[in-house]
Order: sequence, then structure tokens, then C-alpha cells
Amino acid sequence: MDLIRHLECFVAVAEASHFGRAATRLGIAQPQLSQRIQRLERELGVRLFERTSRQVTITKAGTLLLDEARELLTRSESLMAAARRIRDGESGLLRAALPPDLAGETVAAILEGFRQRHAGVELELHELSTAQQLTRLASHELDVGLVHHPCDITGLELGPVLRREVGVLLPRHSPAAALDTVPLAALDGHDLVLFPRSASPALYDDILTTCARDGYTPAAVRQGQGASFVRGLILSAGAVAFSPQDARSTHTAEGDPDITWRPLAGAPLNWRHSVAWPRGRGDAAVGAFAEATTRALLDAAAGGTDEPAEPARPLYLRPASEYWL
Amino acid sequence: MTTATTTSRRIHAAFAEAGVTGRLHALDIDSGAEIDAGADEAVVTASVHKLCLLVALHQQAAEGRLDLTEQIDCPPTGRTAGPTGLAAMLDPVRMSLRDTAYLMTAVSDNTAADLLLHRIGLDAVNSATAGLGLTRTRAVHTFHDMLATIRDDAGPGRARALTDPQVVARLTALDPARTNRSTPREMTRLLRAVWRDEACPAEHGAAIRRLLGLQVWPHRLASGFPFDDVHVAGKTGSLPTVRNEVGVVEYPDGGRYAVAVFTRAASTAATLPAADAVIGTTARIAVDALRAT
Repeated sequence: MDLIRHLECFVAVAEASHFGRAATRLGIAQPQLSQRIQRLERELGVRLFERTSRQVTITKAGTLLLDEARELLTRSESLMAAARRIRDGESGLLRAALPPDLAGETVAAILEGFRQRHAGVELELHELSTAQQLTRLASHELDVGLVHHPCDITGLELGPVLRREVGVLLPRHSPAAALDTVPLAALDGHDLVLFPRSASPALYDDILTTCARDGYTPAAVRQGQGASFVRGLILSAGAVAFSPQDARSTHTAEGDPDITWRPLAGAPLNWRHSVAWPRGRGDAAVGAFAEATTRALLDAAAGGTDEPAEPARPLYLRPASEYWL
Repeated sequence: MTTATTTSRRIHAAFAEAGVTGRLHALDIDSGAEIDAGADEAVVTASVHKLCLLVALHQQAAEGRLDLTEQIDCPPTGRTAGPTGLAAMLDPVRMSLRDTAYLMTAVSDNTAADLLLHRIGLDAVNSATAGLGLTRTRAVHTFHDMLATIRDDAGPGRARALTDPQVVARLTALDPARTNRSTPREMTRLLRAVWRDEACPAEHGAAIRRLLGLQVWPHRLASGFPFDDVHVAGKTGSLPTVRNEVGVVEYPDGGRYAVAVFTRAASTAATLPAADAVIGTTARIAVDALRAT
């Protein structure tokens, strides 16, 4: 008996509480589904469902076995994925994604680092926002990615949290450009160029909340990400944009007469990233990508920034939080 | 595109706009019409499981196994932690089982919930839900034990460590396979049974509905129905990044709708008004769609 296939039928009937609906979901005929359930009941020696002419209900024994059946199915799926990659060997393919805000040198370093660690596997690299990566990781169209925190990490495993120092790109003639480190409040009066909110909604909200709290509420937030678009808005409209220290070269060359990059005072906006992959699907190729990416980001940040840079703040849980530690 | 897909897309768009991943099931209690936006996904119930406990308590009372006016002692030590009710009070308390159930439901009192749970047992809660055909709803630990897993998983950083994505990723209490769990569809099924007196005899059904109507929180489900003539009754559930509510919305024309909304926020911040409010926003989209059919 193909236990896995029979367990799939068991779980499907338990979830649908209905043979017809479960059969549709599995793409098989209802009599075939009934046969499989009967065969499984014989094999296990327990009755899994009570059937009447009108409905089907799971038995106590069925309930007790359901969780284990589900776990076995998940394991089986992850085993098949690993086997697929091992079997494919030389022609193996790792579908990976990076966010659009990395410097070209960092992307190149990741590709090179991966090749050194795992030469046998071909890397199919995509430029995707965090939101797009999460969707594709969930549907298993992507094997591994580099996401911006905060994001919903349900069902994912994470590599180490990597911090990138974020500073501000501003017109060289702006009074704030004369400062060594720029407090957010000194940006008041400038419009802000920021990545589209849909790319990473929670990070976008975090950035604007932090700016407002520290005294910078831009009159307009323009959505834009491409280097030349951002440059144009800074030059012509006197806008400012945030950029990680390691990606500043994308926007402003050494000795650029028009635009300059300055650190923010107190580092209030540092970005956090992790390499992420679906839980239970991390294999050697995923591990190699995680290592190469972690190494490249640490090198780009000149010597490692995975220590928390932010000072500890008080945390007041309100009564509606319902939990208390 | 069918109306149902349009509604489901609007609901998912509202979740995304609020920075959460959400699952919703809405059910017209009388016609059986439904809105499904991830209704069969396994979800962490958190304090929503107090609803299952409340139903189990009333089933036991209906079977004559306990008397709801029975007095229960709550000493000042050994209380399950929490920010409301007995969990926040300092002195010894003696009160009835049904008033304890009131505190558990109205302000999500964790100490009250565990007092009742110790009185009837975890198995009674699971038999109550299994007896109603809820095969994917299961309580595996008390509220004290659930909070203890968070403390253990968070390590020495305690609450502050919960802003670290890696800590959040390893929390047992946020993994539906290892903690108290259900699905949106099973929760609306439970509410329908309570509202149709199929979970308990009428007198007990009425008592459960009264308590759910006395819940004090205005920020989630209720926020989506700013109408003085619409009645909202429900039970919330919250943990780090988790914000849930299940409840029933009743209109003056007799329409009554069970709604279950379970969310996970991207942000680890404890205070996120938009993530609370989207529970009301999406419930309203679903109920409006059910009322239009």
C-alpha cells in the first residue's frame, strides 16, 4: 500500500468532512476515494470515519491520528524536494531572490561566493521586493530569498539577522549636508523619495513613523527606487532619500558635486535583513546561498554589523495585549 | 470574475495595506452563505480558545456535572500572568464559576481562564470541540503553560527579545502544529452552534452569548461596525505578532453573521492600531458581501 497517498486521502476527507468535496480536491473519483479510505482503515486496524447516508464525521481514533498523518505528509514533501535536487545533481537549479536596494558589487560578491561554495548548482537569481519574495516562497516558486524585516515570517526559517546602516542622500547645497551626522529633524522641509509601500509595507510604515516621531514629516513622499529617478528628484526638487551605507555608490560617486550621503545621527533607521527559506526545505544549496549572502553583506558593511546598534528602549505592553511576560 | 473572488481579493488587499497576513471566514448563520479568505488554514487561537473553554464549561453545567454558582478560590500567589482581571489583582478572591467565566470572556483574564481550565480539564475542552465536529481545533496547553513556552523560547531578553525576528521565528506559541489551534471555518462553525443552541441547551447558549456581548474591547471586530443598532459579540486573541477575533454581528433586520479573523503582523511592535482595526475592516467587507447576496 502507498501509505503517503492513502494518508493524503484521509486528511482530505477529514478536512472537507465530505467524500465528494475531498475527491474533487484530490482530483480522483469518489468511489476510488472510498476504496482507499477502507483500505487504509483495514491496514491501520481502526475505523477513521463514521458514515451515514447524509454526512461523514471523523471518529475519535481518526482525530488522534490526524496530526501525525499531517506531519508525515509535510515530511514527505520536504524529502521529495531534497531528493529532487540531489537527483538532478549537476543540472540542479536554485531559485533565489535579492531585494533591489543592494549595490552591484554586493550582488556580484553573492554570485561569486555561491559559485565557490556550490559550483554544481545553477543559481537563478531574481530581483524581487520582500512582499514578492514572501508570496513566492509560500507557493514554493522560490527556494530562498533575502527579506527586509519586519515581515510575516510564518512558515519560514531564517539565517542570521543582518543590519545595514541607513543614511540620507541629499543635495550638497542643503544646510543639513554640512553636518557630519544628520538628525532626522534637520531634514524638515525636504520631500522624501521612498521605495513603493507595496514592496515592504511594514518597513515603509516603520520608516515614516520613526521620521515623524523624530521631527521630520515630509510634505510629500514620492515613490521611487531607480538610481537615476532618485537622483533627478534630489537634484530638481530638493528631495532627500534614504540609502544604506553599502549602497551609496549606486547614487553618488566619490566627489559628486551635486549629491552627498550623510549618516543619520543616532542611527535611527537601520535596516534588518535575513536570508529566508520555507521551513523544512533548507538543503546544501540553500545553505551555500545563505552563507554567501551573509558574508557579502557583512563585507559590504565593512566589518560586520550584526550587533544590535539601537539602544534598548522601554516596552510598555498595554492591557489589550492580553499577554504578559 | 465572480463576486466571491472580488470580495476575497478586497479582504486580502486590506490585510496587506495594514501590514498583516490574514485568514478570514464569514458565515451567514441562517442561510449558510459564506466568504472564504483562507478559511481552512491552521491558525494559532491564543485567547480565542477561551471561547471553547466557555462552551465546555456550559456543557458540563448542562449535564449537571457542575454548578455555575459554585464558589472558587483564587489565592494571590500562583496566578497565571496577565494584564487584566484576577491576573492583575493583588488580594485573595472568592467568586462563582460563572463570574470567573465573565472575567475570562469580558477582559480575557488569563488567571480566570486557568482556574476554569483546572476545574474542568483540558480534555473536557477538546471533547467539547470534537463533539461539535471540529477536528482541527485542539487545546494542547493551559494559558500558563502557553506563556511559559514564550518565556522559555524568548530566553533572557524576555519581552524585548520578541522584537528579534529570529526569536519570533522559533516561538512554539506561534506554530499552529505545536500550540492551541483551530481554523477560521471551525470557529464560525462553533459560533453558529452557539447562536443556534446546538452547542448547549438554550439557557446556556443565552449565557454564553451574553458574556461574548460583554467583551470590552472596541478596537478589532467591533470597530468595523460603527452602528448603534448593530450588536457585536466576540472573543479576541493576542500574542506577539498575533491578533485575532471571532464573533457574531447581528443586524436589526435579523441578519446574523459569524466571523473569524486571524492575523499575523509583519511588525513585531506590540502597539499596532492599524493591525487591530483591519480585523473590523475585513469583517465588514465580508458581512456587507453576505448581506448583498
